[in-house]
Amino acid sequence: MTMTKLFAVSALSLAASAGAAFAADCGDVTIAEMNWASASLMANVDAIILEEGYGCNVELITGDTTPTFTSMNEKGQPDVAPELWINAVATPLAAAKEAGSLVALNDGPITGLGEGWWVTKKFKEDHPDLDTVEKLLDHPELFPYIEDESKGAFMGCPAGWGCQSINANQFRAFDMEAKGWVLVDPGSAAGLDGSIAKAVERDEPWFGYYWSPTAIIGKYELQMLPFETEYAGDDNWNNCISLPEQDCLDPQATSWIESAVESVVTDEFVAKAGPASDYFKARVFPGEVMNGMLVYMNENQASGEDAAYEFLATQDDVWMQWVPADVAEKVKSAL
Amino acid sequence: MDWLIEFPSMGRRDLSQLKQSIDESFRTFSRAFGDDLEAFFTPLLKFLIFFEKLLTGAPWPLVIAVIAALTWLGARSWKITAGTIIAFLLIGYLDMWENTMATLAIISVATFVCIAVGIPIGIFMARSDVAQRIVTPILDVMQTIPSFVYLIPVVMLLGIGKVPGLIAVCIYAIPPIVRLTNLGIRLVDRDVMEAAESFGASGREKLFGVQIPLALPNIFAGVNQTIMMALSMVVIASMIGVKGLGTPVLQAIANQYLALGIMNGLAIVALAIIFDRVSQTYGKRLQAYRETGHD
Repeated sequence: MTMTKLFAVSALSLAASAGAAFAADCGDVTIAEMNWASASLMANVDAIILEEGYGCNVELITGDTTPTFTSMNEKGQPDVAPELWINAVATPLAAAKEAGSLVALNDGPITGLGEGWWVTKKFKEDHPDLDTVEKLLDHPELFPYIEDESKGAFMGCPAGWGCQSINANQFRAFDMEAKGWVLVDPGSAAGLDGSIAKAVERDEPWFGYYWSPTAIIGKYELQMLPFETEYAGDDNWNNCISLPEQDCLDPQATSWIESAVESVVTDEFVAKAGPASDYFKARVFPGEVMNGMLVYMNENQASGEDAAYEFLATQDDVWMQWVPADVAEKVKSAL
Repeated sequence: MDWLIEFPSMGRRDLSQLKQSIDESFRTFSRAFGDDLEAFFTPLLKFLIFFEKLLTGAPWPLVIAVIAALTWLGARSWKITAGTIIAFLLIGYLDMWENTMATLAIISVATFVCIAVGIPIGIFMARSDVAQRIVTPILDVMQTIPSFVYLIPVVMLLGIGKVPGLIAVCIYAIPPIVRLTNLGIRLVDRDVMEAAESFGASGREKLFGVQIPLALPNIFAGVNQTIMMALSMVVIASMIGVKGLGTPVLQAIANQYLALGIMNGLAIVALAIIFDRVSQTYGKRLQAYRETGHD
């Protein structure tokens, strides 16, 4: 009994000292802090845990899906993209994984997420019969476009985002121009969110692209419309729909690809921060926890850093499962 | 000594309550008056749409001819006129015609609105020291506050698109015309004013017959600055859904499309240079006439 206990204790302390040795080697880590709330929260949680728990020297780098991925792919910087929406960069990411330069440590850091076309809750209640995208597309007159009342406004994705081409191609694939729709470019996240906030506050109809989990979806209770059209295959999606418009000559109408988010790191990071890799593998935010944190951020106008401390302080039953007990202790004492 | 190091700030909870109550009162305001405000701006929106359609719908040789004619009338310089024609031909050849016309439309209307609102404010400021003391800090705020700060309430009130874009542009671009109108009138020689008074000029005659004509070079410098600042807001305006040269620039920034960014950026620069040269040479011609008068 005592022997095994002793053995266990020494093994533990050995493991701990090995962990400490690794920690000293962890060195400088750069983490991409994407410019939307959930990714900002996640990047800050990662930064605190890596810094306090694993002794890394973390620097957060502001980013966005395509530029950050390009930089990781071309330059190996930043080391970590905690919340990379991989649909937008599917082809080059697959190539990088094949080559081994990028590694996906976690293929579902948040549960229950998705992209698609949404309407306001009030609209859905007023028009229960228009319960799919296809049925709604026959009624552009319900969403008059302010600059041309005879057309329906479909709010696309801001210029330059990965989803911009996808929405533009879907717009063509569903032949929406002929059906009387206009693809409106909101220009930025602020523009897109502002258009939703304004529509919901004034009980105006709104139809457009959004994604979950987000505070906007939680706060304004947008409803996603399902597609009747089946998913038309990866080839159509990856080699046409998700490419810039001029590279997708014949888009096929399709339902949205199942959203895939991964925590992607460079091979260099795996080599220098071994034990921290295990943290990324275990780090899964349940969807409702993430939504709750996003609403907290929104209502308190909290930054990603504020929210990360709030999360670590209040949700220890969630994050303590992601790390070994000694690391958890270190993080806890540093808060 | 903690209280010396840590600033005695308002508590976190109170602060967030304060922020929330500001947000909430704005939301109430938006719900109550948003529709009326939108209705108020509808004629402006209609005009913006009409003007853009006019520019994009007209045959391109006609548009270039009109622009060249305006350039000639303003600058009276073959060089500037030829440069303008070449610039527009290049813009069209590089497939930026439609975006350039959209930008041209909103910038022209924005400049016009800024001048129509700005010059009377400038005159008012010049005539009253109290008005100057009140308006100057407001102009300072308008010029320095980060544009996204006022884009949020503008979008909440009016949604996204042309009118909010125009308002954002004007908030940033109107201060120079106001300031320089004020300055120009205040710089008019006291002796000249005395002379006008001794001839028995009325207030209106003094303003329109003496002060404004003598202040014109300054006012024109203000118009020139206003146009330049309006053009510098093109990309920001695109961030709230204004169509034009800013949209491809945003796209280029996010995707690192070097060529796309440079081409559209240079198109904005070309517009800026044309506007600048024409308004400057026009202003100079006014000044030249004034200088010969002094000799």
